[in-house]
Amino acid sequence: MHAQSVKTSQTFSIASKLSHAYQAHSYRIAVVSRFLAAIVGGYVFTAVFSSLLSIILPLKKSDAVLLSISLTIFIYSCVFIWVFAVKSLTKIWITILLTTTGLALILSLLKGWL
Amino acid sequence: MKENFFRSMTWMHTWVGLLVCWLLYLIFYAGTLSFFRDEITLWNQPALHNVQTTDTRIAQQKSQIIAGVKYLQNVAADSQRWGIYLPTQREPQLNYAYEKPRPEGKRFGGWQEHNIDPSTGQTIAQTRETKGGNFFYRLHFDLHYIDVLTARWIVCLASLFMLVALISGIVIHKRIFKDMFSFRANKGSRSWLDGHNVSSVLALPFHLMITYTGLITLIFMLFPYPAMTAYEDGVRGLFNDVLPTNVRSKSSPESAPLANIEGILDHVYTNWPDADLTQISIRDPNKASATITVRASTGTMLRDQTPTLLFNGVDGSLIAKSATELTNTEVFYDSMTALHTGRLANPLLRWLYFLCGIAGCVMIASGCIMWAKRIRERMKKQQTASFGLKLVEGLNLATLMGLPLATCAFFIANRLLPINVAERADKEILAFFLTWLAVALFALFKRATAQWIQLAWLNAVACIAVVLINALTTDGNIISYLLNGQWALFSVDFLCIIFAGLFVIQAKKIPTRAQPKAQRQSSRRAAKTNLQEQQ
Repeated sequence: MHAQSVKTSQTFSIASKLSHAYQAHSYRIAVVSRFLAAIVGGYVFTAVFSSLLSIILPLKKSDAVLLSISLTIFIYSCVFIWVFAVKSLTKIWITILLTTTGLALILSLLKGWL
Repeated sequence: MKENFFRSMTWMHTWVGLLVCWLLYLIFYAGTLSFFRDEITLWNQPALHNVQTTDTRIAQQKSQIIAGVKYLQNVAADSQRWGIYLPTQREPQLNYAYEKPRPEGKRFGGWQEHNIDPSTGQTIAQTRETKGGNFFYRLHFDLHYIDVLTARWIVCLASLFMLVALISGIVIHKRIFKDMFSFRANKGSRSWLDGHNVSSVLALPFHLMITYTGLITLIFMLFPYPAMTAYEDGVRGLFNDVLPTNVRSKSSPESAPLANIEGILDHVYTNWPDADLTQISIRDPNKASATITVRASTGTMLRDQTPTLLFNGVDGSLIAKSATELTNTEVFYDSMTALHTGRLANPLLRWLYFLCGIAGCVMIASGCIMWAKRIRERMKKQQTASFGLKLVEGLNLATLMGLPLATCAFFIANRLLPINVAERADKEILAFFLTWLAVALFALFKRATAQWIQLAWLNAVACIAVVLINALTTDGNIISYLLNGQWALFSVDFLCIIFAGLFVIQAKKIPTRAQPKAQRQSSRRAAKTNLQEQQ
């Protein structure tokens, strides 16, 4: 009984330490998370989106690829700016994850990877 | 991220810019110099200084190629690759090159070059081993001393930050037209902001174009996925589809006589009657798998893909030719690379490219200086500078004043190192980086205005030294270049003198601590030249 309560209080103190640490550095963590969303999230989104574009554009194969490749940087920078323009970090991550997964799903269905 | 869009963009502009500004400065600096890549290479090669371009340059090409094949057949019949590089407007010498035997496990053995003066037909002796303008060209996207692929990823990330900073910079700019004409002098960091705005806005289309197209030049490394999705064998599949002359046959060990070059040239000239040929490359000469590629200049067309004809090297038949009519998308893609490299530029446009590049350097330099100035201005009297501020100030001094000094050291090393010293080209580059390192170490200890002044003087002396040492160690000097109309060489020396002058103005105009406050704030001219000098 006594031992258990010690254990709970220990876990509690670790949790509270973590939450303290989070509160102390929450701003920094939020900034890092935002940069990650912009750089990594934006990259993966662009990769999937441009790949999808390269097979659905109604152009000659080589033209479709060249056009989607030429547009990648534009898409990437738009996502990047959007990540910094939106206030809620949760909304950003959810949007990026959902759209990327959705696009990847369509891409795999079209290519017959699934 | 902040309470409104405007503030979020301002925050992002500041931090995205500051994080990579020194690397971006290096990229812009080296890229700007690379617009004069051939001219710098020529300057670094005094043996080629007196080679003149002839009026009959294009008419001579046919006989030069035939003589080249004869020469290479005599000296390097067993080599795996031959190259004949014909004189161009910017590179006056004729070059017959062949690949040296490949060391175990290497894919390329390096070129053995044989330079010829096209007007006399004489071999040019005593060329020195130097990278010349190619050093800056490579530094621009491969950096140095680190793995090429890693370097390119870093450069790509920095360029993306640059593009994002440019776009957010436009967004947060409320009075974009008015700022083109406003410069408020004597206002501390306000003047730096105006300098930042003027240099950004005046050359804004260039900045956007050069950053976007720069990323496009490395796009197959950055985003190979569309090509991988659409083609079985990815990027290679795309290239084979778009560039018919890209096909490569497997090397065969069987020997077979090389096709008659005159017959091939007849074929070339019926296809392209007034062609300005640039290079002939022959793979596997005297083998059954021999191919001969003939390339012509794109001239001043907005085209990166050179017109190419690919011949079978045994029977002389045409295997493939580059597309003459590109589709709209191909034109869109291809023109972006052409815009970035600026190979199409005539001298006037080349200078415009160079000036816009300088505006880019000024934009980056004024941005990072402004950040430090603002923090300093906001600090209370007895407050000590934070680590971050010291770091930024140190990096500012090391980068902005170190790079020009390192460049001077590179040019001086080119003239002073003995011609036959081993690994000469690498030693020139070592001189560049050692000088830069020395400035960085100096900036590590002290980075106040006094150090800016000292380094400005040092830079001015170094710039003049380049011109003087050139005059003392070679046959020519800035005056003889002017009299003989050797404009490429004259431009290099002339720019050194201009920059020396700007550095002197900078050294004179930087306010020192001892002066009263009214005088301390720099005048309009000083603020402007300060910016320019930091090229």
